[in-house]
Amino acid sequence: MRWSFIARIIGILLIFLGLSMIAPLLVSLHYHDLARDSFIRSIGITMVAGLILIILSKKMRSDDYINQKEGMATVALAWTAIGIFGALPFYLNPEFTNFTDAFFESVSGFTTTGSSVMTNIEGAAKSLLFWRSLIQWLGGMGIIVLSLAILPFLGVGGIQLYKAEVPSPVPDKLTPRLSDSAKILWVLYGVFTLSEIIFLLGGGMPLFEATCHALTTLPTGGFSPMNASIAQYNSTYFDYVIVIFMVLAGINFSLHYQMLRGKTLAFWEDTECRFFLGLILVLTLLVTWDIYGSVYTSIKDAFRFASFQVVSIITTTGFATADYEKFPGLSQTLLFVCMFIGASAGSTGGGMKCARIIACFKYCYRELFKIIHPRSISHVKINNIVIPNEILRSIMGFMALYINLFILSSILLAGMGVDMMTAFGAVAACIGNIGPGFGSVGPTENFSHMPVMGKWLLALCMLIGRLEIYTVIILFVPEFWKK
Amino acid sequence: MKIIIVGAGEVGYNIASRLASENKQVVVIDKDPGAIRRLSENLDIQVITASGSNPRILIDAGINETDILLAVTDSDETNLVACLMANIISPTTKKLARIRDADFDSYHHRFQIENPHIDTVINPEIEVVNTIRKLMDVPGAVDVGSFVDGQVKYVGIRLDQHSPMAGMKLFDFTSRFGENRPLIAAIIRNNEVIVPRGGNSLKPGDLIYFVSETEKLEKMLNLFGKKIEPIQRAFIIGGGRIGERLAKLLEQDSIKTKIIESDIDRCHYLSEQLDKTIILHGNGSDQKLFFEENVGQSDVVVSVTDDDETNILVSLMLKNMGVENTITRISKSNYFPLLATIGIEKVVSPRLSAVSSILKEVRKGKVLSDISILGERGEFIEAIALETSDITNKPLKKISFPKGAILVCIIRDSQIIIPAGESIVKPGDRIIMFAVKQAVKKLEKLLIVKLDFF
Repeated sequence: MRWSFIARIIGILLIFLGLSMIAPLLVSLHYHDLARDSFIRSIGITMVAGLILIILSKKMRSDDYINQKEGMATVALAWTAIGIFGALPFYLNPEFTNFTDAFFESVSGFTTTGSSVMTNIEGAAKSLLFWRSLIQWLGGMGIIVLSLAILPFLGVGGIQLYKAEVPSPVPDKLTPRLSDSAKILWVLYGVFTLSEIIFLLGGGMPLFEATCHALTTLPTGGFSPMNASIAQYNSTYFDYVIVIFMVLAGINFSLHYQMLRGKTLAFWEDTECRFFLGLILVLTLLVTWDIYGSVYTSIKDAFRFASFQVVSIITTTGFATADYEKFPGLSQTLLFVCMFIGASAGSTGGGMKCARIIACFKYCYRELFKIIHPRSISHVKINNIVIPNEILRSIMGFMALYINLFILSSILLAGMGVDMMTAFGAVAACIGNIGPGFGSVGPTENFSHMPVMGKWLLALCMLIGRLEIYTVIILFVPEFWKK
Repeated sequence: MKIIIVGAGEVGYNIASRLASENKQVVVIDKDPGAIRRLSENLDIQVITASGSNPRILIDAGINETDILLAVTDSDETNLVACLMANIISPTTKKLARIRDADFDSYHHRFQIENPHIDTVINPEIEVVNTIRKLMDVPGAVDVGSFVDGQVKYVGIRLDQHSPMAGMKLFDFTSRFGENRPLIAAIIRNNEVIVPRGGNSLKPGDLIYFVSETEKLEKMLNLFGKKIEPIQRAFIIGGGRIGERLAKLLEQDSIKTKIIESDIDRCHYLSEQLDKTIILHGNGSDQKLFFEENVGQSDVVVSVTDDDETNILVSLMLKNMGVENTITRISKSNYFPLLATIGIEKVVSPRLSAVSSILKEVRKGKVLSDISILGERGEFIEAIALETSDITNKPLKKISFPKGAILVCIIRDSQIIIPAGESIVKPGDRIIMFAVKQAVKKLEKLLIVKLDFF
């Protein structure tokens, strides 16, 4: 483990983070709100910390390369550092009384979870709300992917960092060169965000709110500058615009890229995308059927609210237009299951990812098939491409770890005095990077009443979920640290 | 006339032997001394033990004064390079190559119009797989083939006890079936080929070859008491190239297919390539596996391993287990006489099929195709009738056909005529004839078309 390299990369990322705080500072200057000083101080502290790390560490030569182990450690530590320094603007504001809350809010932002500890959101400074949205937008596509796109410094080692930050079950690179792929991803991301802002403005949403919502829709984050989230507007138009952009954000970005390059059937030809869209349709219809009559009297409303909650949860965004805890049991159960399924691989969404679910089902089918035909040879295929056994093993390992971490964290949280439904709901919502959970952390409540240790635990869960388990969990394996 | 054959395998051997018996100058090049020795000991040809794709060897073999180069080694790459080199050294030489890899299929035409300008690319496996597919659909058929681009088919079937035709005399056919009477080209009884005349009658147990329009085939089979039943479950023993191609074809027709292959790596490859087919790892003669996988329940079993003996054994074993419909791949032509006696009748042979398509390609004149049946004991000949020939412009009953030869079909302006005594063959008609081996020479004279090569 060459700490010097790791320190240098984290230093550069911190400088970058400091620079990105200039945006909310400008917002603050525009609105003349009270957060101005906290941003100036945050920028100062973050930049100085970054500079110290860079000065203390060795300069990297262009032929120095980072191995897989170092890549994973770098990404996990970098995300932790970014969580800490990104929490400064919150901590230095009067809305936050302690660092735990600030850190929780910051990590919840960067990991695009969207769980909040803020009780009166609309009362906070506008620039702080903008920062909340911006960190989701930065975290959604990945800070390291972004730095790969605009900073050439990572060079050869970049691939290891990229793999650690965007661990796709089936590796796909858009172009032969990593920095080109990263650029394409961010350009697509930016274009989608801009179009959503335009659509929301078109429906009459004020510019500030439209921007904040677009910045948190595309990363499937879920922070809203309004207390009641999207429900505040009670507008069918806004609901459906946001549903469409959540779905787009939940689809593999390489499919968007293929679409733009003229492969019009890309969505349909991709097994995972078909599964994802089909699942959304089926679940929406089921929930519509379930809540029509019992909660909503008109079928149009039932469909509108059903589609929004299903899409919001399955893409792991976490916006709310209705309190799903008032839905009948079937709908609640389906939404709870959605928290685990998650969006597509290669999208900005979290959860286990549809590709893994498909692979898991096919793997299980193969096992059953093998019992019926003991001498048969078969492979698991997705999109007609064979998934090698080692990748399958890693996928099964991922799913097992995911479930085990869910169980373990729920027990720990319950041990801190949280009730069962809340413990399950909060952990599922944090590992899956969704936002609202069940019980006392439902869509109309927030996480402020969680115990202090519970907030740290949940923040860790968010990081684990965002970096898809292995990258973070590996740091806790003693073998990793042996020389 | 000089021919160079690159590759002394089964195909090379058979072509060399046919051509040598026609008094052509044949040079065979192969790397394997054993294969070369077998040729030089048995045939009157020149042999070179070296690589056939080597330019110096090609020049030594006399490529410059050679009319035709046949590249028929087991390696597609060697065949391609041999043609490429021949094209550079001697562009006027006609080139023919056997290319078997399915991924080359779509490039066959490009090979002709671009370098290396291969005049004919043949892939016997495509043909064999198509034949197997046809045999599958016609239960009881022992042999199926087609003429005139598939418009006319010939079928060989075994007449069973319950067939309404059993015991009938051929001249009763007209009164019984009228216009739609079947045209019988040959009867094989007790291992003897009979070209039938009106007085012959059909007996149960006879193997009968008849010719029919493809559209009317189903009706014809009904006359013989056979029904076409679509198959639903197929079993393939051997996952080589033919097995793979066949499985792909069956997947398209959504027939449930299982393949048994003994090589584990090949199994993995097949599982990657095929989608719905079930790949089983095991030996082709493993009876336990057969019971485990219910082979006895399948509608058809195709044995296409590379090993003739395994194929024969598997087919026998399955016949024993109650599978009626088995298709067996045989490479060695000297097994053919044996097979009927042990009850294996549906036989395909990629090698022989390669030989006959190569010979057809290199044959000059008005003969369009020439299909050997029953291990070369009889031939279907498709030809164009010439004005100068004795056969034209006369009612058929006035023509003295050689004994052992029969005219089975006339195709005039894409109209198919089943000939009767009064029919007249006009110049330019396509005619299909059947002749036993001994009658072929006499038939040539009648047609004034020498069944000659080149």
